Amino acid sequence: MNLIYSAGFAAIMACGVYLLLSRHVMRIVYGVILISASVNLVLFLSGRIGPNPPPVIPSGETVLSAGAANPLPQALVLTAIVIGFSLVAFAVALALQTFRTIGTLDSRKLNQAEALGSPYEEGKSQ
Amino acid sequence: MSLISILLLSALGSVAAWRVGRHVSSGLKHVAALLPIALFACFIFHIEPVASGGVVTDTAAWVPSLGIDLAFRLDGFSLLFALLITGIGSLVTIYATSYFSEADARERARFVFLIHLFMTAMLGTVLSDNLIVMFVFWEATSLTSFMLIGFETAKTEARRAALQSLLITCGGGLALLGAILLIGMELGSFSLAAITARAPELVASPLLPAVIVLLLIGTFTKSAQFPFHFWLPKAMAAPTPASAYLHSATMVKLGVYLLARFDGIFAGVPAYGVILVTFGLLTMSIAAFNAIRATGYKAILAQSTVASLGILVMLIGLDGPVSSVAVIGFILSHALYKAALFFCAGTAIHATHITELRKLGGLAKHLPFTAAAAVLASLSMAGLPPFVGFIAKEYLFEAQLQSSWSAIAVIVAVLVNGVMVAVAGAVSLRPFFRGRGKIEHVHHGETPGLLIGPMLLAILGVVFGIAPHLIVDNLIAPAAGALRGSPVQVSFSLWHGLTPMLGLSAAVVILGIALMWKWNEFHRAIGQMRLVQKIDADRAYYRVVDRVLGTARATTRWLQNGDQRRYTLTVASSLLIVAGYALVTGGPLNLTWSGGEILPFPAIILILAIVGCVVAIRSTSLVTGLVGIGIVGYGSALLFLANGAPDLALTQFAVETLVLVVLMAVLVRLPTDAPKTRSPRESRIDAGIATIFGFLVFGGLATMTAQPFDTRLSDFYGATSYLEARGHNVVNVIIVDYRAFDTVGEVAVVAFATLAVWALLKRRRAGKGS
Repeated sequence: MNLIYSAGFAAIMACGVYLLLSRHVMRIVYGVILISASVNLVLFLSGRIGPNPPPVIPSGETVLSAGAANPLPQALVLTAIVIGFSLVAFAVALALQTFRTIGTLDSRKLNQAEALGSPYEEGKSQ
Repeated sequence: MSLISILLLSALGSVAAWRVGRHVSSGLKHVAALLPIALFACFIFHIEPVASGGVVTDTAAWVPSLGIDLAFRLDGFSLLFALLITGIGSLVTIYATSYFSEADARERARFVFLIHLFMTAMLGTVLSDNLIVMFVFWEATSLTSFMLIGFETAKTEARRAALQSLLITCGGGLALLGAILLIGMELGSFSLAAITARAPELVASPLLPAVIVLLLIGTFTKSAQFPFHFWLPKAMAAPTPASAYLHSATMVKLGVYLLARFDGIFAGVPAYGVILVTFGLLTMSIAAFNAIRATGYKAILAQSTVASLGILVMLIGLDGPVSSVAVIGFILSHALYKAALFFCAGTAIHATHITELRKLGGLAKHLPFTAAAAVLASLSMAGLPPFVGFIAKEYLFEAQLQSSWSAIAVIVAVLVNGVMVAVAGAVSLRPFFRGRGKIEHVHHGETPGLLIGPMLLAILGVVFGIAPHLIVDNLIAPAAGALRGSPVQVSFSLWHGLTPMLGLSAAVVILGIALMWKWNEFHRAIGQMRLVQKIDADRAYYRVVDRVLGTARATTRWLQNGDQRRYTLTVASSLLIVAGYALVTGGPLNLTWSGGEILPFPAIILILAIVGCVVAIRSTSLVTGLVGIGIVGYGSALLFLANGAPDLALTQFAVETLVLVVLMAVLVRLPTDAPKTRSPRESRIDAGIATIFGFLVFGGLATMTAQPFDTRLSDFYGATSYLEARGHNVVNVIIVDYRAFDTVGEVAVVAFATLAVWALLKRRRAGKGS
């Protein structure tokens, strides 16, 4: 099963990279979403997964039973999900603001910074 | 006072003098000169012990693990330099204070502060015994001289000259550092005294050629030797007091100082002397040529300084016992007359606001004392008796005649010294005595502060010439002895009898007078020579600089091209290369099956998620794409659920729903069709990169999951979370207890993101309102 998971997560990652290379700001955001989803799954997989019971200690016992799922990657992924959401929300807000002020989401047209010229060219005195 | 406290006094004193100098009234403005005078006095007290053969040392730990101590050492040679640095430093401070008397007090204090910092750096350089410490001070002199040359920041010329000198001297400094590190590698010590003692080991080392080449680059750049001779005349853009300091006592002589120090170490390497004499002669000749060609008052002096440095380098390279005395005598006499002449030039330029020598004339009427000092100093420069310059020149010729060098060196020396005589005449007689009536009135007269420096130095030139016994036993002999490594008998006096040297001196004077007579003709003739105009090291320097800047511009255009896709592509490909390299070199790929048999539920979900991905990629509508994204998000939630992670699944469901809501809310405000932004070729490249990326991730993941899993950390959490934290849900306990700080950070990130989003969207609303 590990190969199937690996292949599936890798495919999601590849699609994310493809979207990330786009010049459309929203598609870049989509790429970020896909990549972070894949990264979460990779992290989850690295703790070894399977159809195990959740890592909860049954009442009356004091120690997690041996067959339970690995709790550590779950804790890490939980953090990552929330952080990923913050990132996406911020990126989307930036995209919206960009569209409102500049009127396009095509990164080829978002070149006001370059249009100012290189800061190193200015001081050149001959 | 110990050497370290002297240096500390110098460093702290310069800051104190600066802060005080900003506020003092004009009556007390010379108070800053107390610092160099006090330092000079400190070194005066060291003359007695050093002259009787003693060496003062002082050490404090700095980086003991690397063998770098703040080790300082004062012998006869460094004492001579220390006295010149602080003595001329005092006069420069007084002169500069008067020179800037009409400037803003803050400006004046800043200039004097830089001069004092410069002085401290030079003192540190000549006092250091540890080469690394010396290098630090050496670089500090480059930096402070950069600030001094570019002091008048509004002048383009000054900025360019400052940058040029910084590039050249710091570039040379790098070479010097290389030489120092190689020596340290070879001998395991950075102490100059230890290196001198173990010179044969260094000479026998295979690294020797590299050491010598790097050392020569470092010192030649600093001392403006061919082919780096061009920066020094350009550095004349500095205010004249700084020029006097830079070109007389000091910074340019640091290269000479170090060459002389290493002369004893490389005594067994004949090539060292040959190189020094060759480059010294070349530099002398070129500078003498340029001196006749130059038009500016300060430019002529600067070219003659380069010629003098060439003479010094040549003298160091000569063999024979007299050369060390000749070096010392020349350093001393040159410092005295060159500083004095720069002071006089500064006063003349300051008074008339004219820098061209041709346009100056008859200034003796307005500046009588300056004229007198200029004449005295130039007589010493011309090497006429009874001035100290005469004795120095006699020694120069004696050293040459005693050495094994052929007559060519002597002929070049006679010619160059003849030019020096002519230059001496040109810089003293022309502006002050000839061309009477050229200058009708002057902007500033002489003030005592402007006179004390040139007068004192010019008079010292006579006094030391007439009564050399004042300095022979307590300065010159110890310094020459420190250079040779053994005591030297010095007969430093005016009259040596009818010697060949006297004949050469006479030849020099006759040649010089002839040159002076026909100065204008020579000036014009050389100025018009095609060859001279063609060979221009300065232009070569700018060609190199322009080439470097051009390359930088081209790479910037190539890398910083404004195409966001190409930036991402660069990052992705670099990541691919690094990760691929790690995967290939990290061992064989392991694609074995593990983790149980195929489960239909997760497999179907995975296929659905990939379908969602493809939808997101293929659709040109952002809304359809969002549906695809949503499938992936909910799919991963189901995968969490299927693998014993209900907490993750719940969170993922909630977050995915939020993402969809937020994105939909944004999409209704945007055009929802996303037309293709990539050409078919670009799409193919990107697909290729993404595919390789995917295979890399697959290979890495498969290999990782096939490895045995170390469960210790997870077991620890499973075993302790109820007993220590009283929580049944282990994931919960890890998040809120074991990794509580991490969670606080996470909450903070969410809070900051919220704030940022709010600020972004609010700005719009505020903009609308106005």
